[in-house]
Amino acid sequence: MSKVDAFPGGKFDQLFVNLGPQHPSTHGVLRVGLTLEGEVITKAEPDIGYLHRGTSKLAEARGYHQCVALTDRWDYVSAMPNNLALCLAAEKLLGVEIPPRAQHLRVVMCELNRIASHLLFLGTYGIDLGAFTPFLHAFREREMILDLYEMLCGARLTYNYIRIGGVMADISPEWASKTGEFLGFFKPRMKEYDDLLSFNPIFLARTQGVGLISKEAAVDWGLSGPNLRGSGVDYDVRKSDPYSGYDRFDFSVPLGKAGSCWDRYYCRALEMRQSVRIVEAALAGLPEGDIVAKGVAKTVKPPPGEAYAHVEASRGDLGIYLVSDGGPSPYRLHVRAPSFVNLAILQEMLVGCKVADVVAILGSIDIVLGETDR
Amino acid sequence: MNIESLVADLAAKVPGVVLAADPSYVKSYPTMRLSSAAYLLPAASFLKERGFDYLEIITAVDWLGPVSPEGYTRGGRNPHPFSAPEAPALVAVKNPAAAYKPAFDMLWCLANIPARARLLLRLEIPREDPAVPSLTGLFKAADWQEREVFDLLGVRFEGHPNLKKILTPDFLQGHPLRKDYVHVKDRYDE
Amino acid sequence: MGVILERLPGAVKGVPGAGVVLTTADVFIDWSRKYSLWPVTFGLACCAIEMMAAYASRFDFDRMGVMPRPSPRQADVMIIAGTVVKKMAEPIIRIYHQMPEPRFVISMGSCANCGGPYYDSYSVVKGVDRIIPVDVYVAGCPPRPEALFYAVLKLQEKVQKMRISKGAGATPQAEKGPRNVAA
Repeated sequence: MSKVDAFPGGKFDQLFVNLGPQHPSTHGVLRVGLTLEGEVITKAEPDIGYLHRGTSKLAEARGYHQCVALTDRWDYVSAMPNNLALCLAAEKLLGVEIPPRAQHLRVVMCELNRIASHLLFLGTYGIDLGAFTPFLHAFREREMILDLYEMLCGARLTYNYIRIGGVMADISPEWASKTGEFLGFFKPRMKEYDDLLSFNPIFLARTQGVGLISKEAAVDWGLSGPNLRGSGVDYDVRKSDPYSGYDRFDFSVPLGKAGSCWDRYYCRALEMRQSVRIVEAALAGLPEGDIVAKGVAKTVKPPPGEAYAHVEASRGDLGIYLVSDGGPSPYRLHVRAPSFVNLAILQEMLVGCKVADVVAILGSIDIVLGETDR
Repeated sequence: MNIESLVADLAAKVPGVVLAADPSYVKSYPTMRLSSAAYLLPAASFLKERGFDYLEIITAVDWLGPVSPEGYTRGGRNPHPFSAPEAPALVAVKNPAAAYKPAFDMLWCLANIPARARLLLRLEIPREDPAVPSLTGLFKAADWQEREVFDLLGVRFEGHPNLKKILTPDFLQGHPLRKDYVHVKDRYDE
Repeated sequence: MGVILERLPGAVKGVPGAGVVLTTADVFIDWSRKYSLWPVTFGLACCAIEMMAAYASRFDFDRMGVMPRPSPRQADVMIIAGTVVKKMAEPIIRIYHQMPEPRFVISMGSCANCGGPYYDSYSVVKGVDRIIPVDVYVAGCPPRPEALFYAVLKLQEKVQKMRISKGAGATPQAEKGPRNVAA
């Protein structure tokens, strides 16, 4: 539907359209240079770096604990998995064992954050395609999750909650009961989103069959997260390389079929249901015990070595490659940012699409520029 | 998937591959070291045939040595971040265990999704005029990741179709993640 | 629309028995201007998410007359929400100059104020006030939507003080004088 092979008559002049870096639908400061022939895109050049803050270099001058604060600002829509990835890598270097209660709390926070992140996606994707109401609904629920985080650690977006060796604070009984209340409120709402957006005929017409990614292309371009699973590839770091005790929880990985924008969208909608399941199970079976491992100093100096740890962040496979030379700050920090890798496919995917579909495709990849540019 | 048999197969096929002395040198994944850049493409294409078709990361480490905090970045006694006129001083080697040397250590991580296995490839290249073959012919995921390494560390990827800056602005000189990088003041630094 | 004359600032006189209000042009223009501050939808980083939250259900900026406009040519305010990096500096200056005068700038968050956690980064502009004039600064990393709300109220106070006569601080730009943006 979206791919147009030939023009039905005559030739068109080439037209260069500059999308961004200030554009309401680029979700930040992405610039895409589009070359059009008529309405069909013949060349697309994504241009990133408008939010490149040099985090890897800054980490080389900061202590390990300080680096956790830097990670919050990569994927600022869901900061907990970022914290977790760095902490996992640092803990591998240090060789500390994390108490089970801290592991469960980490899982709870990461999954709540996945819900918050997918809600933001759902709302903004609706706006991209002309539906404003789902945005207000999604933000109502998102604010409730942010309230929970605020109650827990005092921050709404940049939590710095998961620390090397454990977590910052234990949850209170009120927090657990408020979370239960929220989940009870949230579960029927997911049906509401389906009615409002997922199966809305206009929405379906804009997204189904648009922006197709085949299984092979998705793997070849190194996509991860819902973008990869929307094409039907069963790859989830939580299952394939379990961390932080995810293997103890029972959940399924939703897969798409066609790899269209709608499949990617609906994968996220279904993932929220699985996250609710995990949060409920983790809170019900929360073990007693410490929340911080013993023997993690205030100035961490891991022995020389290298570690690679990756987590399933809300946008995909977030990998941290950390090198220590025995000093108080990382010798090298490399981030495999899912948004960065996912975005690269845009240059191939947009070619042959109509210009009206650009926003639908761009939105369905769900990038966060803070993570793309780091 | 049995990593040992895969490694044995790979070593038989591509003679320049050795398993790193400590098998989990990069914690906690099997790591293989290439003895020369010439073996990268054969090794990668062999692994791709065996199902390792998901390129996870490409990165590099500059092993020149730690930079003094008074050099590039602001320390306690240095009031302005960009006041260092010359190259930042390298700290005297405090840690004999760390392998400081004028070299880049490249890292590729390949994953086999159905088998739930991943394998890391290492390669040491000299710091002067660093270059390695590009993997863009085998994995499209290499495109931007190689451009990132080129931009931040200055490693040339031979055969890359579009090797140009990706993250840093055009007027920024040098490669920021190199340890001897000195920031040249531009119009936005006062 | 009911107007409580006692609450209107400036010289306002209601004429008894008639639907007529006498006031100065300054007060009237500023009054209408300050309740229709339209920001350009321009998010840079983390703070943009809080800015979106401010437009959304709970905080609802619409009740202050703050409605996001996608084009700078229709906007009065630019909210610099996030880290300004050197590659983005040039587009920001261009967007600023595309906005019609009088234009205002709210610098939201530590990064836009002074560089914040990236004070020693090679690619971050240490404060957006190095490239464009700023009217209100909001502290925080990121600031809460309420803090942005307070900034809008402060900006309204500032708008209320504007005068149309020359030499009396006609616009913030006139107050600040010309600026060599290429420097």
